[in-house]
Amino acid sequence: MHDIATPLIMGILLGGLYALIALGLSLVFGVMKLINVAHGDLVILGSYFAFFAMTVIGIDPIISLVIGMPVFFLLGFVIQKYLMSHSFGMSLEAPLIIAFGLSLIFQNFNQLMWTPMSRGLTTSYALNSFAIAGVRIPLAYTLDFIAAIIVMIALSVFLHKTYLGRAIIAASQNRKAAQLMGINTAFIFALTFAIAGATAAVAGVFLGMTFPFTPTSGIGFLIIAFGVIIIGGMGSMIGTFIGGMVLGLAQTLGGYFFGPAAQMLIAYIIVLVVLSIRPQGIFGR
Amino acid sequence: MKLDTRTLRIYLPAVIAIVFLALLPVIGVPPAWFLYLFLFFIYVAMANMWNLLAGYSGLISLCQPAFIGLAGYTLVVFTWNGLPIYLGIIAGAVIAGIFALIISIPVFRLRGIYFAIGTLIVPEALRIIFFLWRPVGGQLHGAGAGYMIKGLSGITMNEIYWMALIIGIVSIILMHFILRSKFGLGLAAIRDCDTSAACSGVHVFRLKLTSFIIAAVVTGIAGAVFFIYQAYIEPSSTFNIRWTMILILATVIGGIGIEEGPIVGSIIVVILHFLLSRYAGWSLLIQGSLLVIIMLLAPHGIMGYIRQKKAFQLVRQLFTGGKPAQRTG
Repeated sequence: MHDIATPLIMGILLGGLYALIALGLSLVFGVMKLINVAHGDLVILGSYFAFFAMTVIGIDPIISLVIGMPVFFLLGFVIQKYLMSHSFGMSLEAPLIIAFGLSLIFQNFNQLMWTPMSRGLTTSYALNSFAIAGVRIPLAYTLDFIAAIIVMIALSVFLHKTYLGRAIIAASQNRKAAQLMGINTAFIFALTFAIAGATAAVAGVFLGMTFPFTPTSGIGFLIIAFGVIIIGGMGSMIGTFIGGMVLGLAQTLGGYFFGPAAQMLIAYIIVLVVLSIRPQGIFGR
Repeated sequence: MKLDTRTLRIYLPAVIAIVFLALLPVIGVPPAWFLYLFLFFIYVAMANMWNLLAGYSGLISLCQPAFIGLAGYTLVVFTWNGLPIYLGIIAGAVIAGIFALIISIPVFRLRGIYFAIGTLIVPEALRIIFFLWRPVGGQLHGAGAGYMIKGLSGITMNEIYWMALIIGIVSIILMHFILRSKFGLGLAAIRDCDTSAACSGVHVFRLKLTSFIIAAVVTGIAGAVFFIYQAYIEPSSTFNIRWTMILILATVIGGIGIEEGPIVGSIIVVILHFLLSRYAGWSLLIQGSLLVIIMLLAPHGIMGYIRQKKAFQLVRQLFTGGKPAQRTG
């Protein structure tokens, strides 16, 4: 274990998970200029959904996404269409406060349904590990990385190759101009939130397989996701991936040098430092 | 200030109310009322300061628990070293103010929503720090840096009540004067449009920083008084997002950016607190839903709604001597 190669590789793989968590946040921010403070809790809700599917129905967490993704897609759509959309015209803080309210609702809901106890998606294979050149790598971390790449490529193809995807990009660049071109921006916004919801479901499953989670874990992951998009910049998939790796490495190396309790602290401090040096992000436009 | 009938009509009821509230423990009220009023004063002080930040300075600060907790821990360090409790409260306020100055370096580079997230990190980071670091030695209570607050034996319940009363009233008076000063006008200009405020000669950065530090100091004092009442402190409930929620809820229910908003909102929050205590497991869910519903249906809160009504204008004219109502802030 006394080898720096292990935390290095694990940090890079963990970066995939963080990029995956940040994806929905980045998408909503890019299109609607809204930091959805409920995103972390939405991801944790995704973890609990998979936990429910695994323990009650008895299906594998990854397979449960067949149900989880449409459910969260709908949830995101409903949140934007019936709650968020009404608040955009009000004031700068109105959408933020509503998102904050939603975050509390999700937290309390998770606690009511599954108690405050720490849970994990412990499948038979999640704890396995394999060795490459003498370095043991947990399978769960590898799956995180693979899932992140798959979701990012799928989203990239959707955004650039389909009409709806291009409409989302158009709306994010200039809402008025997009509207004048005949794009229904209210629908596009709801669709964006829905896609962010679906990515949260995926992120939730892989998060649950990597870390134990509690109803209040959401805030920590929200901060990490925010750090990822601050470092990676908006709208850049590669940037998001690099941002994820920076924070993943910060966490594993922080744990390696300062002990496991300091892991999150190192990640938070990096986010604060990056914010104070370059608020627009390192890879930002 | 010239003491004409108009000034008298406004200030006399307020003075009578304060004297009445201050005399309550001497007259003797049920202990339960003590707690209601105590919490009300603490929440009013904190919510007023959040209103100053979010409603008037355009700073959606989510780091208020940091000021509350740091003031509380300063109090612990002082009382554990045998220093008097009042000195501990003052030191707590100073530390909170200095901390606000320090974190303003990173977070004041951020605007709007970025500022909100930047400040959200601060209490989370502090919680981990206080899980790892114990500022003074001694017996462990709970996880991390959990302490009993020493030196409380000489402090009666009445004194704690009066401390809360003072900080609550001071925060109201402070808001009253800030909003009627050049400083308050500058803040209102920043909130409405900081670019045009800067163009008109308002020193945006200095004004925002001043209100951030004022808010930190007053929030810190209110926090320290709360911990004197609670008699213990530990990191996970101290640097907790629930504090932020209470302040936002009180301000939003009452009316954000309205002077009386946090006062009315704090009354409602205290009532909710006790109504919901039977459904403790559900309280966050209910309060979160309230936040969403009020924001959507009445974005200016109760006071914003009342202000539009005819009856309110009549009452106002009665007190201000027939002068037409004007919206402050």
